[in-house]
Amino acid sequence: MKTRGLLWLAIGIAVLVALPLVVKSSFAIDIFIRILLFSFIGVAWNLMGGYAKQLSLGHAAYFGLGAYTSTILQVDFGISPWIGMVAGGVVAMLASLPIGWLCFRLRGPYFTIATIATAQALMLIFLKFRDLAWGAEGTTIPNLGNAPLMMQFDTKAAYYYVALALLALGLVITYLIERSWMGYYLVAIGEDEDAAEAIGVNAPKIKRHIYLISSFLTALAGTFYTQYIYFIDPATAFSFSISIALLQSWLGGSIGGVQLTVYSLILMAVILWRPTGLIGVATEAWQRYVTSKPVRA
Amino acid sequence: MAEALVIRGLNKRFGGLRAVQDVSFTVQENETVALIGPNGAGKTTSFNLITGFHRPDSGSVSAYGREITGLKPHDVCAHGLARTFQVAKPFGAMTVLANVMTGAFLRDKNTAAAREQARDAIEFVGLSAKEQTAARDLTTIDQRRLEMARALATQPRLLLLDEVMAGLNPSEIDQAVALVGKLSKRGLTIVIVEHVMRAIMAVARHIVVLDHGQKIAEGAPKEIVENPEVIRAYLGSYVHPPTPGET
Repeated sequence: MKTRGLLWLAIGIAVLVALPLVVKSSFAIDIFIRILLFSFIGVAWNLMGGYAKQLSLGHAAYFGLGAYTSTILQVDFGISPWIGMVAGGVVAMLASLPIGWLCFRLRGPYFTIATIATAQALMLIFLKFRDLAWGAEGTTIPNLGNAPLMMQFDTKAAYYYVALALLALGLVITYLIERSWMGYYLVAIGEDEDAAEAIGVNAPKIKRHIYLISSFLTALAGTFYTQYIYFIDPATAFSFSISIALLQSWLGGSIGGVQLTVYSLILMAVILWRPTGLIGVATEAWQRYVTSKPVRA
Repeated sequence: MAEALVIRGLNKRFGGLRAVQDVSFTVQENETVALIGPNGAGKTTSFNLITGFHRPDSGSVSAYGREITGLKPHDVCAHGLARTFQVAKPFGAMTVLANVMTGAFLRDKNTAAAREQARDAIEFVGLSAKEQTAARDLTTIDQRRLEMARALATQPRLLLLDEVMAGLNPSEIDQAVALVGKLSKRGLTIVIVEHVMRAIMAVARHIVVLDHGQKIAEGAPKEIVENPEVIRAYLGSYVHPPTPGET
């Protein structure tokens, strides 16, 4: 059983590594890069949201901080985004301390709402304070052609491998955490925080620690994405849809299995075809069959 | 005998309700003490006050010579006081082994050592056969066993058991009583909240009776069952005052 698992793992790695050698369409590679990147953010988010069930919808905050830190360092000071990437991670970790301190006082949906607010607040800061970082118009990253030291490549395949490396990093960290005491503590907190406390788990401290790791990894993704699209502005860097998209990639995959995939499909179907939800359907039916008025005048 | 747990003048209000009023008692080392009383007497609240889940309005709790009033639950546990819950709270998604290992990590962060420690605790409560079962699939008594194993894995000196026998059938109660006796023989000090009188008489050497948040009696089991105050609390007063006008 174990050797079979390892075999599948090896095949999976081989396919992922060989993919850009086989697929030559740059459009297809672009899609794969985005898939890898969002998988990576999903993995970072899963450490908190999946194991410890702390449903943050504010990870765009760290994505954006990572993106802005490396871009400011590069455009204003000429520092390589490779260094900026790590610096962005550190900035995100520092930011997660006060944000975590505030948000972890709340539990359940209140925690989630608070995290949305922090991401939105950061976006507004970067939008309104023009002296800080170009305001609403954002900035483009100077194109240096093929400059690997500045995280710029002339082939899409190179970006693909960077994204793949990030995902591998995220998965290795997840694996190490899952097998250690930390993994047990995280699941225990997710299952029942009071019971975890009763057997000596310092729940607030563990949550702060995993938040640090999760925000660091998310910030790395922010730097990469900005380097990849050569552009940054508050709306893309702190986009709420990043928080949502990674939630979807999590719903669709990492821990939930088939059941959650079905839920996420239902969710998407409702959003596409019934954006008004159950209330909308009920109102429509009421108007059509009971009051006999036309649905829309 | 040394004092394991000393509780002095404990008070807790929830709005207008005085849940615990001026409760004091002492638990000696290696002793099994039962905390009894009718529903709403303040037993579970007392547990929560001792283990840090609630902060008392006034009064003090000290264990093994150290003041633990107002500490967080995990600190209380690190100090050697482990508790179980009235409604079992297993980590449902985890196996029995993983549940108990989570407790064992308190004293040793090494996975192999924690697994070893956890296996001992699981064997002690008699759950070895279900080591790999998901906790959510256990029966009520096995969930209680799991809670005890998880608490034991933190290597406590004092164990607080909150109604471990609620919802069990008579033969299961006998098993649970035997298990509590075994824990006591192991040298653990035990405070037990219980409604099942048969069980209390079998395990407790000392009983504290609460009613409406106040301690109304304390003593050996034999004294307690004959105490008029206790009988009144459980059954109501027997003699009604004469109605005016009645002859």
